[in-house]
Amino acid sequence: MTETLAHPATEIAPSEPRRPWLTNRRRRQLMGLLLVSPALVVVIVFFLVPLVMTFWMSLHDWPLLGDHEFVGLANYKQAVDDTEWTNAIWFTLKYTLLITPALLIPALIQAFLVNRPGRGARFFQTIFFLPVVIGFAAGAYLWLYLAQPGLGPLADLSAKLGFSDSTDNWFATGTSALLLVSLMVVWKQTGMQMILLLSGLQSIPDELNEAARIDGAGRWKAFRYITLPLLRPTLALVLVFSVAGSLLAFDQFFIMTAGGPSNTTITAVYQIYRTSFINFDLGYGAALSAMLMVVLAAVSAAQMLLLRRTDHS
Amino acid sequence: MIRRSTPLAVTAATAALALAVTGCGGGDTPESSATDKPTGNATLWVRDSQKGFINLLTDQYNKTHDGKIQVTVIPAASFVQKFGTAAQTGSGPDIASIDLVYLPFFASKGVLDDLTEVQNQLTWKDALSPAHRKLAEYEGKVYALPFTAEASMIFYNKDLFTKAGLDPSKPPTTFDEMLNAARKIHALGKDYYGFTMAGQCGGCNVFEVAPHIWASKGDILSEDGKTAQFTSPEVTDVLTFYRQMWTEGLMPPNAKTDNGSIQGTTFQGGKTGMVTLGAFYVQTLMADKKVDFGVTPIMGKDGGTASFAGGDEIAVTKSAKNKAVAYDFVKWATSEEAQMILAKNSIVPVRTDLIDKIYAPIDPRYKPLGEAMSTGQTPYSVVENGIINDNNGPWATLINQGVFGAGDIRQAQETANKAAQAIIDKGA
Repeated sequence: MTETLAHPATEIAPSEPRRPWLTNRRRRQLMGLLLVSPALVVVIVFFLVPLVMTFWMSLHDWPLLGDHEFVGLANYKQAVDDTEWTNAIWFTLKYTLLITPALLIPALIQAFLVNRPGRGARFFQTIFFLPVVIGFAAGAYLWLYLAQPGLGPLADLSAKLGFSDSTDNWFATGTSALLLVSLMVVWKQTGMQMILLLSGLQSIPDELNEAARIDGAGRWKAFRYITLPLLRPTLALVLVFSVAGSLLAFDQFFIMTAGGPSNTTITAVYQIYRTSFINFDLGYGAALSAMLMVVLAAVSAAQMLLLRRTDHS
Repeated sequence: MIRRSTPLAVTAATAALALAVTGCGGGDTPESSATDKPTGNATLWVRDSQKGFINLLTDQYNKTHDGKIQVTVIPAASFVQKFGTAAQTGSGPDIASIDLVYLPFFASKGVLDDLTEVQNQLTWKDALSPAHRKLAEYEGKVYALPFTAEASMIFYNKDLFTKAGLDPSKPPTTFDEMLNAARKIHALGKDYYGFTMAGQCGGCNVFEVAPHIWASKGDILSEDGKTAQFTSPEVTDVLTFYRQMWTEGLMPPNAKTDNGSIQGTTFQGGKTGMVTLGAFYVQTLMADKKVDFGVTPIMGKDGGTASFAGGDEIAVTKSAKNKAVAYDFVKWATSEEAQMILAKNSIVPVRTDLIDKIYAPIDPRYKPLGEAMSTGQTPYSVVENGIINDNNGPWATLINQGVFGAGDIRQAQETANKAAQAIIDKGA
């Protein structure tokens, strides 16, 4: 530092004329790099480094405490034959298939309903969005008690209305537990999707719909041929978020069913948690995480591709 | 593997080795030893569940000693992982309060300091809870001192006992008597239940159900923790008894799926006759003032009693920076002064010689709890978490299928036993 300060003249005015290294283009590039560097550092430190470490750990027998040793792909081989793991994968896929339309359809309907001016629409928009601001864990605990037979008002209400018996326990079978958790997630997440879809709907110019109406298109046709295609980018975003979130489901099942009854509601992340933090087998847990990540990346990429391709047709 | 010096080692050989290794280690941080004066700061890690009393304890210590303890509170759910990784890399605390079931695991992994000599300095050593002492031992050495205690007992609703024509001063002492009491209470009405439990919770059921097995002179693990004994006939008896209560409708429907967060609330509702819980629940019920309750020991099939001795032990890490203060604090934590502070906060003392003096006088119902702790048992295993505490592990699955399932109980025992043995063999 002191050296450069000592000879400022030589730096600023070089004796022989030559192309300055720092051209305008380079300067812009450097400036750009400088501006994204905080984000880059965050991504490297909190995403890339852990990613590489996870992969590195997955090649080891790595207990929480004690020495680790390199085992190559043994963890991955073990995972393929691990019925607990494959069951967890199947359950996660089942849940994703169930929850994705269960979230999207009500969200779309709500978005249409509140997509109009007026206080009434804003009021219901707020009501629909309210559950989103409650934490996932808090929401799960809330529903755990609400639906508890003999204790919860939801179970009580359902019995009084004659839908169920007061001794029915919705957590007692794998299917009813899955449905109940899904119901909680619908209550909790539809509002978020509604807001996203609403912003998509509002970006569609009214003129297009008007023109279609003048050409004789009915409500359904206008929706099918005008709204839906123009909403596609938003739908893609919502679907990718929703599917990725569902494949990573954990807390709602951890809290509401604890994986039960008889281990029928264990998701992939739940199984990774058990492997890593209950059985302290970090290496195997890392291998399972890596596998899940590949699935997640593949599903998201496939969704993006599908939705993009139809965009060009 | 780096072995840190153990300043209290008596044999010349160990001392020489220790010196040599410390020499090689080359750390610049000066380590104090037990022979030093206990001054300076030492760090202590506890779980958030201990937040209520831990500062009362350390404040008292800091006021009366030269050494000072700094407390860090860690969320209970991630304590084992956090402490494990930190202790291994040497960035952990000097002292840690650890749930006693994890002691064999941590001791076997070499992250705890040998406290054999420290324990020998205590004049009240022999009065310390036998279960805690057993769990703190690994390969003949002591790796922690008992700190707080907990014991499981059956809580029963005295009003319901009276209403059902049972004598509230004579709680059940055999399976048949308990079944009879549960039936009579259930007969009071459709939403009255004899008994409740947390069917989906591994940790709860070792605390609540396993004592029935011990009281019947059976066990779920061998003494050394290396053989699973889920197939023993005493386990069959208990599962059969519980399944009968379930199929007769003597338990509420949520018992099957409760992961531990419901059973207490159910009993507080006042329409459930019995529940098995621990000393902590006495305080809850007394604050609630809704249920007139009694406590009675967990019985075996034809009599006999047993209890799960739970609670915490307090350990010094191998990489502790201030061992002098650490040793001094863990010794003080078992003293009458410290245990008195705990007892006032509804925690069972770990000293059998103090139960009658400082704990039982607080409430008559504490006396049987203190006695239960003194004779309580705890399964010993380096993989306790995997086989028992895991809500989806072999033990929880056995309870789930044995009590609430429809399949053959013995078959469920065989399957669970195999799964448990596989985890034990893998961990060894």
